[in-house]
Amino acid sequence: MTTAKTDGAAGEGPAAPASPAGPRERARLRRRAARRRGGGWWPYAFLAPWFVGLFGLTIYPMLDSLYLSFTDFDLLTPARWIGGQNYTHMFSDDPVFWDSVHATLLYVLVSVPLKLALALGVAILLNRPLKGIGVYRAAFYLPSLLGGAVAIAIVWRQVFGGDGLFNDFLGWFGVKGQDWISSPDTSIYTLILLAVWQFGTPMVIFLAGLKQLPRDVYEAAAIDGAGTLTRFFRITLPLLTPIVFFNLVLQVIDGFKTFTPAYVVSNGTGGPLNSTMLYSLYLYKKGFTDLQMGYASALAWVLFLVIAGFTAVNFVASRYWVHYDD
Amino acid sequence: MGHQISRRTLFRTASGLAVAGALGPALTACAGGTGAGSDNGSLTMTWWGSDERHAAYKKALATFEKNNPKIKIETRYSGYDGYFDKFNTQVAGGSAPDLLQMDTALVAQYARKGILAPLDSYVGNSLDLTGFSKTLLAAGTVDGKLYGVPSGIGVNQLTVNRSGLEKLGLKLPDREWTWNDLKDIATQVHKKSGGRIHGVDDGGGSTLQCFEIFAREKGQPFFSDDGKKLGFTADTLQEWWEFWASMRKDQASPPPAITSAAHNDLTKNAVVIGKALFTFDSGVYGAGGSITDAQLDFLPTPQGDFSGAREGNFVNGGVLLSATKASKKTADSVKIMDFFAQDPTAIEDMRLLRGIPPTEKARSLISAGLNETDRRNMAMADYISQRVAKATNALPAPVPPPKGADQIWDLLFESNLAVAFGKKTIKAQLSEFFDQAQNILAG
Repeated sequence: MTTAKTDGAAGEGPAAPASPAGPRERARLRRRAARRRGGGWWPYAFLAPWFVGLFGLTIYPMLDSLYLSFTDFDLLTPARWIGGQNYTHMFSDDPVFWDSVHATLLYVLVSVPLKLALALGVAILLNRPLKGIGVYRAAFYLPSLLGGAVAIAIVWRQVFGGDGLFNDFLGWFGVKGQDWISSPDTSIYTLILLAVWQFGTPMVIFLAGLKQLPRDVYEAAAIDGAGTLTRFFRITLPLLTPIVFFNLVLQVIDGFKTFTPAYVVSNGTGGPLNSTMLYSLYLYKKGFTDLQMGYASALAWVLFLVIAGFTAVNFVASRYWVHYDD
Repeated sequence: MGHQISRRTLFRTASGLAVAGALGPALTACAGGTGAGSDNGSLTMTWWGSDERHAAYKKALATFEKNNPKIKIETRYSGYDGYFDKFNTQVAGGSAPDLLQMDTALVAQYARKGILAPLDSYVGNSLDLTGFSKTLLAAGTVDGKLYGVPSGIGVNQLTVNRSGLEKLGLKLPDREWTWNDLKDIATQVHKKSGGRIHGVDDGGGSTLQCFEIFAREKGQPFFSDDGKKLGFTADTLQEWWEFWASMRKDQASPPPAITSAAHNDLTKNAVVIGKALFTFDSGVYGAGGSITDAQLDFLPTPQGDFSGAREGNFVNGGVLLSATKASKKTADSVKIMDFFAQDPTAIEDMRLLRGIPPTEKARSLISAGLNETDRRNMAMADYISQRVAKATNALPAPVPPPKGADQIWDLLFESNLAVAFGKKTIKAQLSEFFDQAQNILAG
């Protein structure tokens, strides 16, 4: 019966007819078979814009950047092949690279767990049949809608600046604040706080997950006398682990790519003392300000490998803590 | 039965897709290519500046268009932040402007990369540079060719909050003052204000406005003539950082958090926020007026206190107008440069918005219409440039900054902060500074 799969365009009938059929009957069968196989070339025409996008805007630029990472491309004059120099320079004598790695790891490893914990906590609170619950959900999601906005980062800079709102607030309690943004010991934590504050997206996903948890399990547990905490740790959390995993993977990737807040809050400098020099910001500075696009491409590929590595570790580790019910 | 997707598969697939989607842009953002110039009829001109400068440019260009009806000008303007990032991207994408305002600190870099058009063949024909001094034209000259027409004289001046000084009962220092005089008055400001105000913003990491002048007073240029090395010694930088460390210790200069906040943000400058009365940042009063309400005055960068001190100040070219090489409208661009260099209406429209006008004729043309602060600014610039012209022991004007110069300026700033925040000793930071600077200039 393999012929049915391979002869499509040849116009043969469907699988060698066992019984004699008239020409009209054969044509009808042929049309039906064509429909079943997908109908010829025209679906691809509809897909063409997507293919153009995939190859023209994603795959080709990616390969181009891989090539450029082995050159000294400066954006203005033709690229020159320099082999692995960009990569060796990065690891052997670029202290700012290591500053940016340090800032980024700190940012991701602190902000992601906090953000997920807050998102889950608020999702549980919002999973109750309260009056006007829709308003609360919208209110808690709002910061994430504004998330990528430059405006919020500018507000952040004002709030945590030396004469900002946050210090006014501390002043009520007689605490004398400092300039949180321009001090190298605290500046990264203002960015982490901004990230944690924007917990709306994982919260919505948690909320969707909570809605799907089977009621009967809780009823059974209640009958057995399980308290709120027991129910959370023994039922809710285990059943929710696939969703925790999903959020974790996405937030880690997002964290590694964070650019806008670092750029805006530090005025594009990554300072003070490179404490807010998140990796993407350093990459941008190298490419567009210092005109080292080849080096920036190499940085981008290292980021790609690091994110791929973290994600792989997440997937492997998930075997030990993520529970699927099937 | 196999068509039912298990939750495990669903999450795996969804995560995988999300990973792919999330990663794509990180990589593609970094690819680029070079393309050919575009031609859509009108000439494109870009500049950076303040609202006042934008308005003046537009007013002058309207006059130009009226006199030259065949040339249509499309203008694009912004603040300084991101201006050159955008220019770089446009050059790479083949859509660079025909005519642009250029920074004296960057002209050499772009000229050597072949981005800018040489203008020598127009000089004396459609480009009249009568009255421009040789030292002034040097600001736009790279490897013997002219790549930009200077808009005016740029000198390094300290900006002083005069009304603030008077309120504390202090007198403006004499313009022939030394670094020790600066220290004295800055300490007095802190004392007389009851500790509310520090005297002068921290200059330890400030390059163009002060450290370069300090090094030149010792006969050391910032960069060596070939641009491949630093021109000053570790001893010079050590002395400099020690001076500022003692300034911070005496509270004559503000703590590092204030210095750091002002990096790239003039609105946080110590004089603007009222934490100091003296600043090295010329932007507080520059292209388009003042960003503080205080009455301002100006002084040359201090010099001296040691034997054999030389004249450390120098004159450069304000901003420049340059044409791009790929442009097909260079002849028209040159006409516009000529218009801004010589035409009385353009000179009056621009006033001091692009620096002190470059020629004697232009300066006398605008002097009548200036407000008091503008007049003080112009008088001090005039004083400094005459002193420089008369000096017998001054180094020649600095060579155009080499590639990587702005990274080194940033490095100096960050190094001074590292010392100020107490993260590094001066000794340790010195060797790190020279190592990294070497690295940048070699790459």
